[in-house]
Amino acid sequence: MPIAQDPLSVEVSLPREDVALLTVAGYLDVDTATEFQHHLANQLHHGRRHFLLDLSAVPFMDSSGMNIILRVYQEARELPGSVHIISPAPAVRRILDLTGVSITVPVSESVDEALERVDGTPPAPEEPQD
Amino acid sequence: MSAGERPEVRPYGGAARPERRAAGPAGVSADSPVGRLAATVERLSREVRAAQAEAEGRALIELAKGILVERLGCGPSQAARQLAELTEQAGTSPLEFAVEVINQAARDRMSEVTDAFLAATAAAEEAGPEPAAVRLRAAESGALAANDTQAVAESLLEQALRPLGAVAVAIWAAAADGSLTLAGSAGFSPAEAARWYYVPPDVATVARCGLEERDGLWLRSPADKGLPSVGRHHYPEGGRAALPAGTGGRLYGVLEIVWPEPLPAQPPQIVRQVEALAELCAHTLETYTAPGGPDQRPAVLPDAAELMDLADGLYDPALVLVPHLDAAGNLVDFRIQHVNSRFLDPAGRPRGMVSGALLLEAYPMAAGDSELFQRIERVYATGEPFRARRMNLTALVDQVPLAAVADISVSRHGAGILFIWRIEDETARLASLLQHAQRLGRIGGFEENLLTGEITWNGQLYDLYGRPHASLPVPLEELPAHAHPDDAVTIGRFLRTLLHHRRPASAAFRLQRPDGVTRHIRVVAEPVLDTDGRLLTIRGAYQDISAQHWTEVALAATRDQLAHTEQQASERDRLALQLQRAIMPPAQAPLQVPDLDVAVRYRPAEAEQLVGGDWYDAVVLPSGLVLLCVGDVAGHGIEAATSMVVLRNALRGLAVTGAGPGQLLSWLNIVAHHLTGGVTATAVCGLYDPASRTLRWARAGHLPPVLVRGAEAAPLPLVRGLLLGAVPEASYEEDEVRLAAEDNLLMYTDGLVERRDRSVEESLTHLLTAAATAPGTLDQRLDRLLTYSRSDTDDDTCIVGIRVG
Repeated sequence: MPIAQDPLSVEVSLPREDVALLTVAGYLDVDTATEFQHHLANQLHHGRRHFLLDLSAVPFMDSSGMNIILRVYQEARELPGSVHIISPAPAVRRILDLTGVSITVPVSESVDEALERVDGTPPAPEEPQD
Repeated sequence: MSAGERPEVRPYGGAARPERRAAGPAGVSADSPVGRLAATVERLSREVRAAQAEAEGRALIELAKGILVERLGCGPSQAARQLAELTEQAGTSPLEFAVEVINQAARDRMSEVTDAFLAATAAAEEAGPEPAAVRLRAAESGALAANDTQAVAESLLEQALRPLGAVAVAIWAAAADGSLTLAGSAGFSPAEAARWYYVPPDVATVARCGLEERDGLWLRSPADKGLPSVGRHHYPEGGRAALPAGTGGRLYGVLEIVWPEPLPAQPPQIVRQVEALAELCAHTLETYTAPGGPDQRPAVLPDAAELMDLADGLYDPALVLVPHLDAAGNLVDFRIQHVNSRFLDPAGRPRGMVSGALLLEAYPMAAGDSELFQRIERVYATGEPFRARRMNLTALVDQVPLAAVADISVSRHGAGILFIWRIEDETARLASLLQHAQRLGRIGGFEENLLTGEITWNGQLYDLYGRPHASLPVPLEELPAHAHPDDAVTIGRFLRTLLHHRRPASAAFRLQRPDGVTRHIRVVAEPVLDTDGRLLTIRGAYQDISAQHWTEVALAATRDQLAHTEQQASERDRLALQLQRAIMPPAQAPLQVPDLDVAVRYRPAEAEQLVGGDWYDAVVLPSGLVLLCVGDVAGHGIEAATSMVVLRNALRGLAVTGAGPGQLLSWLNIVAHHLTGGVTATAVCGLYDPASRTLRWARAGHLPPVLVRGAEAAPLPLVRGLLLGAVPEASYEEDEVRLAAEDNLLMYTDGLVERRDRSVEESLTHLLTAAATAPGTLDQRLDRLLTYSRSDTDDDTCIVGIRVG
C-alpha cells in the first residue's frame, strides 16, 4: 500500500458480532479517503451491519471523507443497519453540521452512547446542535 | 526541447587535436591599453616562475656535470656530452639522470631517503610529471642556494611539501633559553608570520612540543591536543607535523608543516622524507643568528599593525597597504599587507593569495582608467584622504575584465594606507540595471506606493498603454478593466500572488488600448516590504511581447502536433475546462434589474486536471424574481463538470415553476441522487424579490450567504439542509432576509475559504473582515475577495454578489 503524505491510521475492533468500531486518526481527505473506504468495504463484506466511526483524532475532513461516510450510510441503510459518528473534533463537527450530514447520520459523544442508539432501532436522527 | 537549444556535440576521439582557444590578451580587450598591460604583467610573472623552475633544474645538471668532471677527470664540455649520452642510454630525462648521478656520488642520508622513497612509491610516481627524487634534490639545491632561512622555507614548500599536500611551512630557530624564533616561513600571510615572530620560553606550541619529541610530533589536527600555533585560525582543522631539526647531534630548531585538512597517519617513506627535510633545515639554522636588539626592524610597521586591527573591525572590505620602495628608495608599488575578513577578491582568488602581494601585481587594472593607483599614490604622498562614490573598479578574471561599481575610501595612517570599498548595493545596482533594460527592451516600468497611492510610470509605459504622457497612470488593481475579458482569471491570479501572497509575479495578457489596438503584454512585478513585513510598494515592468507571443503560438501549435498522445490524455481535462468556461464565463454580463447590482466571479483551479464542479447562476425569472445560486459538485474532472452542468440547468428549469428555494433544492436532490456515479453536491439557492427587497433562501450542505451591512459582515443562519445526492429524499429549511439599501450579499464556494491548517470559522472570519472592509463597487469587492482569499487548496472558486441600490 502506498504511503500517503499524511498517513491515515484506521483501527478496527468489534464490540459485537455485527458492529464494527473504526477508530480513525489523521486527515480524512482526497489522499486518504480511498484507504478509509477499503476498511469500510471490508467490514461490509464481513457482514457487519452497524458502523461506529470514532473521528476524535481526525483534525480535518474534506468532501471526499464526507462522501465515504455518506456512501457507507446508504449501504448500511439498505441492510438495514446504521452508521454513527463518535466525538468528532470541532472542525469536523462544523463540517458535518454545515453539510447537513449530522441531520442524517447521528453523532454520539461516546462509543457507549452510539451502542445504545444501535440498540434503539430504528436509529433516531439527531437534531443538529447549532 | 528543440534541437536548437541543445549544446553542440563535438565529435571526439581519433586524431583529436588540442583545441586552440582564442583566449590571448588580444582576444580580450585589444582596444584597452590597460588590458594589454595587465595581460603582459601576468605573462611576465608566469615566465618568471617558469624560469625559476628551470634555473633550479639547471643547477642540478651543473652539479652532476661537476661530479663527472671530478670522477672522469675530463673537461666540462666533455662531461656535458658524457651526461647527454648517459642520459640517452638510461632513457630518462636529463634532470632525472643528473639527480641519479648526484645520488650516486653523494651517498648521503638524502640519497638513502630518496632511494627508499623511490622504491616505495615507484609505481605511484610513474604517472607523475616530476619524480620524487628530483623533487627532493631540487629542494635541497634550492635550500643550499638560498641565502637565508626564509628562502629555504619558500623553496621547501614549493619543491617538496606542496606535492605532499601541505600548504604552509614554518622554520623555527630554537634558542638556548627555550624560546623559538620564526626564522622563515611560507604559506602564511605576512601579518600572521609577524604575529608569530617570537615564542617565549615555556609556551607550549606545536613547534615547542615537536622539539621535545625525538621523532617529532604528528598531529591529525592541532585541535586534538589544543596546542596553539601559527596560522591555526586559517587551518583550524588542518594536520600538523613538527620535527626537530638537528644535525651532528645538535638541535637547531623545528620544522613545522601545515596541511589544510586533518592528516591521516603517514606512510614511513613520507615520514622519512620529512625527517630528511628537517635535517636540511638544520643546516641552514646552524648558521642562523636570530636578529635581536632594540634596533631590529620589526617585520611589520607598528602603524600598519594598528591599521590591520582597525581593518579587521570594519564591516566593509578593507586592505592595508604599505609602500613598496625600489633599491633607490622610490615608491614603485604598494604591498597588500593585510586584507580583512570582509574582503572578497573581485577576481575570486583566496584571501591568502592577495594578502602579501604587490598591489599592481594583484590588481594590474588599478593602473588603468580608474586611476586608482594614482589616487592611492597621491593619498600616500599628501596624506589627503580620497573618497569617491560610484567608482568603477575593474578586476581581471581569467583575462576577462570584470567591472564593479563601488564607493571607495583611501586614507593614510602613519606609514600605511587604509583602502576601503563598498560594492554598490544590490538593490541600487538592480535599479540601474532595470533602467538600462527598460531603455533597451522598450519596457515600461512602474512603481506604485500602496500607502500614498502614488504611481510612477516611465514614458515608455504610457506609449505601451497608448495613453498621453499627461494622463493619469492606471493602478495595477484596475488592470482587468484594460485587459481582454478572457484574461481576467490570469490577471486575478497575478494580483493575488503579488498583493496577497506578496511574492513576485508575472502574467501575460491582452492589453486593450483606447485606440482599439490589442497588444500582448507581459507584466512582471515584485512587492517591496518594509522591515515589519508590510507591503510598501509594488514595482515592476510591462513588456510588449506581441511579436514574441505569435512565435510562441506557432511553436505551441507545432508542439501540439508532436505531443499527440499527451494531447489526448489532457483532452478530457481541457474539455472539462471548456465546458465550464462555455457555461460560466469568468465574468458575466450584468443583469438588468432595477435597484440591484449583480456581479459574479469564477476562478478555475490552477491545474487543468483539477477543473472542478463549482457553478454559479444569476438569472431573472419570468416571475421577476432573481434566482441566485452557487453550488459545488464533489470531485474534479469531467465527471464533476458534467454533473455541474446537469444540476445547474436543472435548477434553472425547476426555478421557472415558481417554487420556493427549499422545494427547488428538494427536487435538485432527487436529480443529484439519480445521477450516475453517486455524485454529491452542495448548493445554496436564493430567490430575490426586487419589489420587497427580500431574499428567500435555502441551503443544501453549503456555506450560508454572508450579509455585509455597513462595516458589519455576518453569515446568515445555518438553516437545516443535507447536501445533495446523499439520500433519495430530503427536505430543506427556508429562511428569509429583508435587505436594505447599500446592503451587500455574497454567496460563495469553499474554494474561497478552504484551508488545511485552520478551521472554516477562522477562514470565514477572515473572509468576513475582508468583505466588510473592502471599499468600492461590488465588482471591486469581489475582485478583492478573490485576490486576498486565504484558501490554499487550489480549488476552483465561485462568488455571486448582489448589492441593493
